[in-house]
Amino acid sequence: MDALYAIPQLMFYLLAGLVAISSLMVVTSRNPVTSAIFLVLDLFFVAALYAKLDAHFTAAIQVLVYAGAIVVLFVFVIMLLNLKPDALRGIRFSVGEAVVLLVTLIGFVIIGAELASPVPEGLPAGPLSVAAIEEAGGNTHVLAMRMFTSFLWPFEIASILILLAIVACVMVARKEKPESGKHNLKAGAGR
Amino acid sequence: MSVPVENYFLLSSFMFLCGLLGVMFRRNLIMVLMSIELMLNAVNIIFVAASRQLGQVDGQVMVLFVITVAACEAAVGLAMVIALFRRYGTVNTDFLRLLRG
Amino acid sequence: MGLNELGLNVEWLQWNQFTVDLVAFVVKFALLAGGLLQLPPLLVWIERRVPALMQRRRGPNRVGIFKFRLYGLLQSLADTVKLIFKEEVVPDGAHKVFYHLAPVFCVFPAFLVACAIPYGPDLNLFGYVIPLSVVRVDVGFLFIFAIASLAVYGVTLAGWASNNKYSLLGSLRASAQMISYEIPLGMSLIPIVLIYGTLDLGDIVKAQSTFFQWGVFSAPFSFLLFLVCMFAETNRAPFDLAEGESELVAGFHTEYNSAKFAAFFLGEYVSMFVLSCLAATVFFGGWQVPFVKYDTVVALMGGSVNLAAIVCHIMLVLKATFFMWVYIWVRWTLPRFRYDQLMSLGWKFMLPIGLANIVGTAVVLAVLRFR
Repeated sequence: MDALYAIPQLMFYLLAGLVAISSLMVVTSRNPVTSAIFLVLDLFFVAALYAKLDAHFTAAIQVLVYAGAIVVLFVFVIMLLNLKPDALRGIRFSVGEAVVLLVTLIGFVIIGAELASPVPEGLPAGPLSVAAIEEAGGNTHVLAMRMFTSFLWPFEIASILILLAIVACVMVARKEKPESGKHNLKAGAGR
Repeated sequence: MSVPVENYFLLSSFMFLCGLLGVMFRRNLIMVLMSIELMLNAVNIIFVAASRQLGQVDGQVMVLFVITVAACEAAVGLAMVIALFRRYGTVNTDFLRLLRG
Repeated sequence: MGLNELGLNVEWLQWNQFTVDLVAFVVKFALLAGGLLQLPPLLVWIERRVPALMQRRRGPNRVGIFKFRLYGLLQSLADTVKLIFKEEVVPDGAHKVFYHLAPVFCVFPAFLVACAIPYGPDLNLFGYVIPLSVVRVDVGFLFIFAIASLAVYGVTLAGWASNNKYSLLGSLRASAQMISYEIPLGMSLIPIVLIYGTLDLGDIVKAQSTFFQWGVFSAPFSFLLFLVCMFAETNRAPFDLAEGESELVAGFHTEYNSAKFAAFFLGEYVSMFVLSCLAATVFFGGWQVPFVKYDTVVALMGGSVNLAAIVCHIMLVLKATFFMWVYIWVRWTLPRFRYDQLMSLGWKFMLPIGLANIVGTAVVLAVLRFR
């Protein structure tokens, strides 16, 4: 009986395990396509974790943008370049890499210790508990209100960033034409 | 009864480490880009878990911004990979070291 | 009457909202999956008989048991049996794991998407309210697009793993087409979200209670865009370049045979059905009976919510069937596009129209609401 009610709990551990395994597979598999597919699975499970945390909108966007668009691009490029499986580079540290790894680990330990220490009394629980969000019109509504009021400027800047990225992609990935002059310009503008 | 936020942190740090090691030890530029995506996602997990824990939605807003930036980064990065491949015929980081001196 | 008096009372199981939801989920999913598995044989039959009708041929009408030929319906049954029992041939040089995994990637998203469609109004069994969709997602729209976009991987992997040039070309074509047309498809539905103010498909259906509140009247351009993108998303004619027989043998599933080939069919037909259901749900009032309000339907059914739900469910299935018919109708009417035409249609025509549609709808709504 209790086992039945523990299903939502156990789901976290199941998903966490799947996320961990697939992240490991992403970086260790030799074939880039295998990596990409595990990346999709990884992002999908992370989205499931978001859904478990009642962040439904974020979960949907995660799958839509990451799995639906970004990794498709990766797979596309891998197939276009027809990459062969490559060997893992042997573990040989340069000094810089060792320092980065060390600093990261120390950072993790510090944050972990901070998290593991007992929560001080009287820490405000925050105005938006799950029930409060439900009452205010659901996660999507609350999120939209926050995004288009307090985060309006970052939002606009993000749109400019996307525009810049589009222009940059077109410029970088464009094939260099042998001819020069007006003809070349025209060919570039047509795309 | 819910999963404590430490567990999310553990998961996230594991994922981040995977990504970091991938960036450091993979030769293939595309693999490096994928590892960066992993690291970004690791951070996102903590954002969402903390936003739930603290009763705020700001964390989720941040995640949306991170996803936007990740999309731009992946697109530009892959465009560069294609340009590099066209120019040098390889995406192996051991050969692409003109700036390393 | 509670469930406990029904003799369904097991020692270790107490009926409450949680357990009822759990059991209802399992039962609904089993029913849905079982129903969807019946689709391909039926649709294959329709897809042979309808063009026969259009081209004044007879179509398959021979296979039968004794004298019962059922207009050739049993042909599909025979085909299914043949497909399942055929010998499996895995091509040389194929990537073994992905070759076997690709059909799964094709079928799984299609079934998952089907879970989010509201198939009828809420049931009321034993005092528990049970919604008639397998999962009730409050971001139903985004859920459907998110999961449907995963179908690209099935196609891409199938082409790549088969180690065949035609397959690879077909899969590259298919995935480029699918990601190109996902954008106008999503954009065509944003006006609907603006008008009804929700991402929840159940709420959208409830908002279309009268005939002239249907989405097709409030957002006609969206409907046209959606209709075109529907064909492109499922790789159906006139956008079936991914498997253009005259150029690419059979596209991404050239190297597939037996049960795995059937799995691709299953995936294609299920996603056709899901998109038909979505079109009916968003633009044609979903399970709402035309000209009759839901309350009236309940009253006509003698006040029984459950009977009304069955009527409404049949209504949705009828509407979806109409769109499936449109799929087949178009396939045998229009010739295939050329690939550059397809891409320029998507990016230079559908995308600007979709954007203009969103802006126009937003302006009109703003004017109407500020008046």
